[in-house]
Amino acid sequence: MTTMAELVGVVDDDLSVRRSLRRLFKSAGYAAETFASAEDYLAREIFDGPTCLVLDVRMPGLNGLGLQETLQSRGGCEQIVFITGHGDVPTCTQAMKKGAVDFLLKPFDDGELIAAVARALVRGKECLRRRAERRHARGRLDKLTPREFEVLRFVIMGLLNKQIAVELETAEKTIKVHRGRVMQKLGLTSVADLVRFSQNAGVSPAEIPHGTKVHYPARRQGVIS
Amino acid sequence: MNNLVFVPPLASRLLVGYKHQGAYFLAHEKQRVGKMKTLAAPLQLSGLGSRSKTERSDAQIFEWRVAGIALCVFVGYYLGAKVGFALTFHPHPVSVLWPPNSILLAALLLMPKRTWWLLLLAAFAAHWLVQLQSNVPPRMIFCWFISNSCEAFIGAGSIRFLIGSPVRLDRLRNVAIFCLCGVFLGPFLSSFLDSAFVAMNHWGEGRYWEIWRIRFTSNVLAALTVAAFIVTWATGGIDSLRQLSRRRLLEGICLLLGLITISFVLFNGMVPEKDSALLYVPLPFLLWAAVRFGSQGATAAISAVAFLAILGVANGYGPFSEKSAEQNALSVQVFLIFMSMPLLFLAAIIEERDKAEEASRERDERIGLAAESANLALWTIDFLRHESWMSDKGRELFGFAAIEPLSRELFLSRVHPEDREAVDAAIESARAGSQSFEIEYRLLRPDGETRWLISRGRYVRDDRGRVRELVGVAIDITEQVEAGLQLRLQREEMARMSRVSSMGELTASLAHELNQPLTAIASNAAAGRRFLAQGPPETKMFEELLADVAADAQRAGQIIHGIHHFVRKSEGIRRPINLNEIVREVLRLLHSDLLGRGTAVETELAPNLPVVDANPVHLQQVLLNLLMNSLEAMQSTPAAKRRIVISTTCQANSSVAVSVRDYGNGLPADDVDKVFSHFYSTKPNGMGMGLTIVRSIVEAHGGKLSAENVEGGARFFFRLPVAGKSDMREVA
Repeated sequence: MTTMAELVGVVDDDLSVRRSLRRLFKSAGYAAETFASAEDYLAREIFDGPTCLVLDVRMPGLNGLGLQETLQSRGGCEQIVFITGHGDVPTCTQAMKKGAVDFLLKPFDDGELIAAVARALVRGKECLRRRAERRHARGRLDKLTPREFEVLRFVIMGLLNKQIAVELETAEKTIKVHRGRVMQKLGLTSVADLVRFSQNAGVSPAEIPHGTKVHYPARRQGVIS
Repeated sequence: MNNLVFVPPLASRLLVGYKHQGAYFLAHEKQRVGKMKTLAAPLQLSGLGSRSKTERSDAQIFEWRVAGIALCVFVGYYLGAKVGFALTFHPHPVSVLWPPNSILLAALLLMPKRTWWLLLLAAFAAHWLVQLQSNVPPRMIFCWFISNSCEAFIGAGSIRFLIGSPVRLDRLRNVAIFCLCGVFLGPFLSSFLDSAFVAMNHWGEGRYWEIWRIRFTSNVLAALTVAAFIVTWATGGIDSLRQLSRRRLLEGICLLLGLITISFVLFNGMVPEKDSALLYVPLPFLLWAAVRFGSQGATAAISAVAFLAILGVANGYGPFSEKSAEQNALSVQVFLIFMSMPLLFLAAIIEERDKAEEASRERDERIGLAAESANLALWTIDFLRHESWMSDKGRELFGFAAIEPLSRELFLSRVHPEDREAVDAAIESARAGSQSFEIEYRLLRPDGETRWLISRGRYVRDDRGRVRELVGVAIDITEQVEAGLQLRLQREEMARMSRVSSMGELTASLAHELNQPLTAIASNAAAGRRFLAQGPPETKMFEELLADVAADAQRAGQIIHGIHHFVRKSEGIRRPINLNEIVREVLRLLHSDLLGRGTAVETELAPNLPVVDANPVHLQQVLLNLLMNSLEAMQSTPAAKRRIVISTTCQANSSVAVSVRDYGNGLPADDVDKVFSHFYSTKPNGMGMGLTIVRSIVEAHGGKLSAENVEGGARFFFRLPVAGKSDMREVA
């Protein structure tokens, strides 16, 4: 997993642009794959290494922004560098907001493009690493019983055992036992570790049902955003 | 006398209808006999009686004129008979020249048929009066009147039947008919009757055939001289006499005096020798009269000679006084008959020719006037006679000298060198075929000025199919051409402005389009540099790279060329074009814009589309405008439905149609055609000129642009005639 290759993909409807970019990436040490349309790229099997897509905004069929959205909804880690013939500000802003690495105007400086691609690959690598961690954490969480998971969510919310007991309508002692088991199963020693772990695993804190008039004297909020 | 001039009311009403026909002759008749006026004046006064002067209408004047003519006939007949008696060679009962019958004949020839009864009545009265004095028994008088009036009737009736009215002896045909019917047939038939009457009444001593022969010749001579004289002078003679110039009048008087002198000398015993060769002496004068003064001159001269010759014979002088009275009479009659007949014909021929000449001159003048006022140049070239004519205006236009003979070569030398070949070919093909030619060309005048002309002409062939004449007309259309040119330039300029503005709207898309090859070039160049920096590159790969760079540079150049071509001032040259090509070119131009707007374009292009004759840039403009309109119309259409369908079809092999269909807002439902009007626009910034220009371009190519609403959008389509089949309207 750590020694995986990188993928640079070029998606542009113009053949000569594709050919020239492939050549440019080759000269920079990347073996680029080219695609004539967004659909062509989506048809390719998903590459599990760090991926950077150099994407033309204007294309027949699904355009650049459309592909970006599709990829995000697919949950991949592809990083995107947009290239376009004319840079209209709204399109550019939209693309950057959605996490594009860069937005380059044709014809662009080769150094800029290659730097952007390099950055994208780094980001892609990071994305993949985080995703792997999360996957690992999730594997350990699976060992918890539903009750223990519930207690975990209240703990990372920052409630005291006493408070949790009130919420779950049980004795404080029971909570304490659950809590101990959670820490044991996950192999953690401090609440701080627990919180970080939950964050990586994508566990969200519990929510107090609306309408419950419970006053927590020492409630702390904002621990987890 | 009162009996004679009294016209019953019924008759006067009948006469009214002949007012116009009769008035002409009557006017002259009246002038001819001056004393008639004095005779008629008291009659008119007595006739007015109960009527006031102001009520007198033309009809009444006419009525009195007829009465006047009848009076003239009465007087003429009476005097003629007296003359006839005077010219009777006793003891023979028949005169050498018997004018009364001819006077009656002339009157019948000149007057409307409805008035004949009155004329006959007048003649009858005169006849009775004069014969009574010669102690002829009443029965004989009556018989003679019947035979005399028969003669006039036969002559006048047949002549009028054949010639119609008016009877003029100024044409060969008319003279021939006059001689045949009036001079020959009338006397020939009536003489049988006359001789029979004489025999029946036992009057005189002559035998039947003798009397027939004498009467026939004498009446023939009288008709030839007296009747011809009256008819010619009554039908315009007096009038022409007035119009004569002083020199002509002098000439006429000299001629008359000369003729009278010669005849008098010849026929009245002034010449000692009775040499028949001298008979030809009057001939030059007679010919002179006929040639210079036409039929009137000829008849006057003939009458004078005849009168003097007969007078001489009656008195026993001249060449015809050697034999018996009868033989002398016959000689002088034959002499006069055969002398006067050819003269009458000659005079008629000469008059006919003069009239034809005058008519042709008048026609030329009229045509010349028409040509001048219409700025026309007319010309004819007669190849057989080697003559040519061109109107003054034409000579001025072409810059020919006034008498310079025309020829095709001379004409071609004036045609602009660039047009000369085409003009020559058009004329040659007209010469080879028999159709006329029509050519538009430029004229290069000697002074260096260029004018635009249209010439039309044709070759006229004779009966044997030989080219006889080239006739033609040329119209100076320089002003129209220049105005048309100006208009075309303006329209051209407007179309160009529209193209420039289209390009303006497409700038972003075109920049994108141009950036593609530039990006490729830049990337390839950068890659090359990097490869070089890494050490000696792979040759094959580098070759490919450079080839790509070159191809992309070409492509960029083509895009720029296309834009320039589209926007620059075009020369308006048309050439055969496949509309499918135009569709493809425009789609190339719009490629980026279509992508940017997320609009799909479908094409349904007919294979083997016939070519049209058109200016490619203009047609690109038409299609580009239509497509941009469709794109505008689909702005509020959901992206998934934005679609344009372009199709080309061939209709009946005579026209090609292009249709652009969109899925947009559609056209204003109330008036689809409103979109074509000036300054109509649905766009906030639109000038509303686009479709107007598009339509004018299509129409300038002989086509038609239409629009209609279709399911979920609009459709614009235009039709153009297939090259070489410009009359597509029949199909459309």
